[in-house]
Amino acid sequence: MTDIGTSIPSVTVRGPQAPGNTAALDPVFTVSDLSVFYGEYEAVRQVDLSIGNREITAMIGPSGCGKSTVLRCFNRMNDLIPGARAAGKILYHGEDLYGDHVDPIEVRRRIGMVFQKPNPFPKSIYDNIAYGPRVNGTKGKMDEVVEEALTQAALWDEVKDKLKQNALSLSGGQQQRLCIARAIAVKPEVILMDEPCSALDPIATTKIEDLMQQLARDYTIVIVTHNMQQAARVSNRTAFFTADVDDKGERHGRLVEFDETSRIFTNPTDQRTEDYITGRFG
Amino acid sequence: MATPPSATAPGTSPSLARSRPRHGEQIIKVVLLLAALVSVATTIGIVVSLLEPTIRFFGEVSAVEFFTSTSWGPLFEPPGYGVLPLVSATLITTGIAVVVAVPLGLGAAIYLSEYARPRVRQICKPVLEVLAGIPTVVFGFFALSFVTPLLRGILPFEIEIFNALCAGLVVGFMIIPIVASLSEDAMTAVPRALREGSFALGASKMTTSVRVVLPAAFSGIVAAVILAVSRGAGETMIVYIAGGGQPNFTFDLGKAMQTMAAFIAQAGSGDVPIGTVDYNTIFAVGSLLFVMTFAMNYVSARLVRRYREVYE
Repeated sequence: MTDIGTSIPSVTVRGPQAPGNTAALDPVFTVSDLSVFYGEYEAVRQVDLSIGNREITAMIGPSGCGKSTVLRCFNRMNDLIPGARAAGKILYHGEDLYGDHVDPIEVRRRIGMVFQKPNPFPKSIYDNIAYGPRVNGTKGKMDEVVEEALTQAALWDEVKDKLKQNALSLSGGQQQRLCIARAIAVKPEVILMDEPCSALDPIATTKIEDLMQQLARDYTIVIVTHNMQQAARVSNRTAFFTADVDDKGERHGRLVEFDETSRIFTNPTDQRTEDYITGRFG
Repeated sequence: MATPPSATAPGTSPSLARSRPRHGEQIIKVVLLLAALVSVATTIGIVVSLLEPTIRFFGEVSAVEFFTSTSWGPLFEPPGYGVLPLVSATLITTGIAVVVAVPLGLGAAIYLSEYARPRVRQICKPVLEVLAGIPTVVFGFFALSFVTPLLRGILPFEIEIFNALCAGLVVGFMIIPIVASLSEDAMTAVPRALREGSFALGASKMTTSVRVVLPAAFSGIVAAVILAVSRGAGETMIVYIAGGGQPNFTFDLGKAMQTMAAFIAQAGSGDVPIGTVDYNTIFAVGSLLFVMTFAMNYVSARLVRRYREVYE
């Protein structure tokens, strides 16, 4: 393998809606000059990025490149970490996500999140789904809300006879789909996924990926993944992050390239992207 | 290379047998076993030493009188052996203590584990635990010389100098650190991922604390409350000093009352001849207190097993 520029192996690219031919970006989030600090430490530097409506955007890159940190800015999850601070701007439908008037709780209701390790509450399957709607004061027929969310998450048939069972009795893959259902139940507009398959086996991973494709019809999805093939398989657009090491030896995450997934994986403009996706580092 | 390893060639195939003796392991095992046995033996010893005088007590006093009469005065003439005044006093003071300690202790625990900044927690928790280290006799005089006058000043109704209300309140203060500290440990042990899951659904901090963290920490919190209640029910000095020594069978919180533990302290510190009914009375009351505390522990352990949320 001498000429990596022209032959990138074993990666099939298919976007969920229009493979290799993504329509013009209709932004839900517009990120400009975003830097994230943990205390004095600048974890991510000057990121510019847009997240398209009802698209799947993948964020890839080596460990410690700040992709999860950026993801956690989209629902202000970083607010919960003492000393964390975001500089720059994130616009959500044109509204400053970090504006003074913005209530982070309202933000998180509209922008759901699925985590790396499935984290169902130690309650029944039913109560896991009902938790979000109850917390948000949803009145009306909870049974229907639960069924709808579980159906959308392709889990209903597997659990409909054991809704009262503890969620932790499910397998890892089922737990993760339960967490997706739980996120859907509050009817968010965006679902953020932080390496949702990294704790799952390949079969469970395939199920989650299929589910993401279906969900992308109704939801905007942003996924952080270590798995490049996964990014190539499911996403419309891909953002490649890497980490620069400064003279003090500190790592600062940085966005290298952001483009349509097909472009990133077949014809990247930056050498570092090419090196990463061909397995030269990372 | 196809020849199997041979035992006759020690140079190429070292034996898997133990190469040097490990006596230390055996010694440590025995020492640790003894350490565990000491507390078991103590428990058995207490039960046995309680049992014998108790049996003799019921040989002379009818169990019916003991459990149904409302007149207590084993040292008086004629003696009364109805334990109900002591039981009701114990339940009342413990009840007041629980009403004080559970909300305040849980509130403190929620604050420390969910709201406080790490620095605040680092300072607050040790200070809180100092409260648990104060000798109960100090609490007793604090109750008598400070809390009772304060209560008499602010309450719209009359209370006696020695009264159950003050005793119960101060026992409550005494057990707050147990509830708070152990509950905080249980809540801190709840994985961060569960909180994040809740926050990510648009839940507030309070909702997350009450509906996710508390239930997940439930078994630890109940254990904390049980320990605190057991301490409160068996608490002696505070109720002895602040509650007075009269075994009144009353539900008036402003009246003096004598709890089971306070009676044991009072009778035990007097000059009661060994072997007399009076002497055996102490053990009968002690046995009853032991059985009550044990029953409470048992019932709550069953409840915990039924309602707890296992998060791993």
